[in-house]
Amino acid sequence: MKASGSSGWKGPVKFRMPTAENLVPIRLDIQFEGQRYKDAFTWNPSDPDNEIVLFARRTVKDLKLPPAFFTQISQSIQSQLADFRAYEGQDMYTGEKIIPIKLDLRVNQTLIKDQFLWDLNNFESDPEEFARTLCKDLGVEDPEVGPAVAFAIREQLYEIAVQSVSSARESRLSKKSRRGSDYGSASKASGLSMDLVKLFSFKSSVVRKRKDLDIYEPMVDLLTNEEVDALEAREERHAR
Amino acid sequence: MATDAPIPGGSSEILPTTPSNPIIPETPSASSNSLQPPPSSSACIYIPSYSRWFSWTEINECESRSLPEFFDSRSTSKNPRFYLYLRNSIIKQYRDDHPSKISFTDVRRTLVGDVVSIRRVFDFLDSWGLINYSGSASAKPLKWDDKESVASEPPSTVKESTKRICNGCKSVCSVACFASEKYELTLCARCYVRGNYRVGINSSEFKRVELSEESKTGWSEKETLLLLEAVMHYGDDWKKVASHVTGRTEKDCVSQFVKLPFGEQFAKDSDSEDALETFDQIKGSADPESEGRVKDGSSSPDNKRMKLTPLADASNPIMAQAAFLSALAGTKVGEAAARAAVTALSDVDHEADKNAGGDPNRQDINGNSRNDSERAVAEAKSLVEKEEKEVEGAIREIVEVEMMKIRDRIVHFEKLDMEMERSRKQLEDMKNLLFTDQLNIYFHTRRSRKAEDRAEC
Repeated sequence: MKASGSSGWKGPVKFRMPTAENLVPIRLDIQFEGQRYKDAFTWNPSDPDNEIVLFARRTVKDLKLPPAFFTQISQSIQSQLADFRAYEGQDMYTGEKIIPIKLDLRVNQTLIKDQFLWDLNNFESDPEEFARTLCKDLGVEDPEVGPAVAFAIREQLYEIAVQSVSSARESRLSKKSRRGSDYGSASKASGLSMDLVKLFSFKSSVVRKRKDLDIYEPMVDLLTNEEVDALEAREERHAR
Repeated sequence: MATDAPIPGGSSEILPTTPSNPIIPETPSASSNSLQPPPSSSACIYIPSYSRWFSWTEINECESRSLPEFFDSRSTSKNPRFYLYLRNSIIKQYRDDHPSKISFTDVRRTLVGDVVSIRRVFDFLDSWGLINYSGSASAKPLKWDDKESVASEPPSTVKESTKRICNGCKSVCSVACFASEKYELTLCARCYVRGNYRVGINSSEFKRVELSEESKTGWSEKETLLLLEAVMHYGDDWKKVASHVTGRTEKDCVSQFVKLPFGEQFAKDSDSEDALETFDQIKGSADPESEGRVKDGSSSPDNKRMKLTPLADASNPIMAQAAFLSALAGTKVGEAAARAAVTALSDVDHEADKNAGGDPNRQDINGNSRNDSERAVAEAKSLVEKEEKEVEGAIREIVEVEMMKIRDRIVHFEKLDMEMERSRKQLEDMKNLLFTDQLNIYFHTRRSRKAEDRAEC
């Protein structure tokens, strides 16, 4: 029983985040008069726009930022939301895509490195639930790690979704008419996705090869204050 | 009559929105199940009495009403479990940090979820006093909502206006009304208590706005003088009094008159203590100060009025009406009315008893009817006792009969037992006999065989 390569070509889907909740990852990095505000969170694009103003005001008030940040924050959020909405009308082809998601983040004093496979076609997936479970299982005590993990996953999913939209546009623009199976191969051209057939065919086993075990294992590290400072200094140097 | 200091452990009035009310000190362990460890802070954490419904493991109806997006199963991840996670984490975080207040940004940084949902839950908990609740009356709920309404200048009805029309019943609001800036609604107290507003709005969205004239304009000495003159002239004809005192409605005149120091003579429900206070205050004050003092004196009946709305948001509409009426009328009137109602009801009961007793002749005399009913009650009691005794006797007999039955059966069994023993013994005897017979035969055969052998040889 051979698994066919082009089983189940999925028709184009309207662009959305390939997760259960259509949430957009928003990243803020605003510098003004020597003060830097960095933040990352998820936003629900179906919320009314006045929420942006409320959120910006709340944030400025809670973090005691100078009032100039208010406009910058709301503008940044709005532009990112507008980008997302611009994609929304278009089609995306997801194909048979299982992609590796990599985590490599530092939140306060916790360092997390991890890699795992994610099914892009599963529109019921929940990065938030995954992040919550991950932190609970790894015994992460810092409550800020969870949102950061969920955000990182979402960001990567968003990028890939955007790529699949652009690849769909490219293939549509080309004059040649392609058959269904070719779409699958076009999306694979990005190099990120794995071939389901190769992975799960009856010849190879489902168990991971030993050399890959280390890569796919999560690693949590608690840094001391000095290490944190050193890392931050290095990051700033890189940023410049 | 102290109104400003919170009275711990005392009253348990439930107010719709404002937190300036007596609170019940509640330790988290009292309200929580064993899921959450008690916080390390030594101080008690206060929550207002209208949030007593909170429980760590359950979702109350008011929560599902205020935050319907989590409960209408429109999206798979915005479900009640997610809501519980958000709510419990926020409250736990607040109580760990207590007494310092937590801000929305602190919370949303530590919670996994989209920030707008977090904000909604946070605001809900804030307005219900489950987080960032300080017992002081100065903390106004949803303060930032006001700032925002001022900043964005919506066509709000919160601004001062002389007459406020209720959106629900289209009547002029008086005494107090409830305004919601979010939905731009104004409801009179009756509509608010009855829940006469759109579905989807919950009672916590409304803020109570007092409409007592004193807080807005205050009675000047000239007006008070005019009022007194008018009352002397026209007595109880408040229409004429109102027309004499230019610029005041009848109701204002009446209330102001009642609040004057000697108003207690005319008023049934005595705000007498308040009146004495105002009298003392007015006595030694100059003109510009009197307005302020009068305001102070009259603010205490306002506070009293604010306190006197128990059960205002009770689900039972009749109770709510009764509460509203009693609040407006004052304590003494309410008491008298309640007493009269109770005596009337008891009289009706007596009438019913008497009719059931079957004595239609004595209907005219009330005292006799009461005696008759008492006699009937005594007769009934004796009948009941007789019945009980009969029942007891019958039960006793039944028990005896059963016992006899059992005894007979035991005797029968014993007999059977004896028979069995006898037959077993017989069997044993027969076995023994058989055995001896067998032995005999065996010996005989042996002997005869031996004899044969000897004979042969």
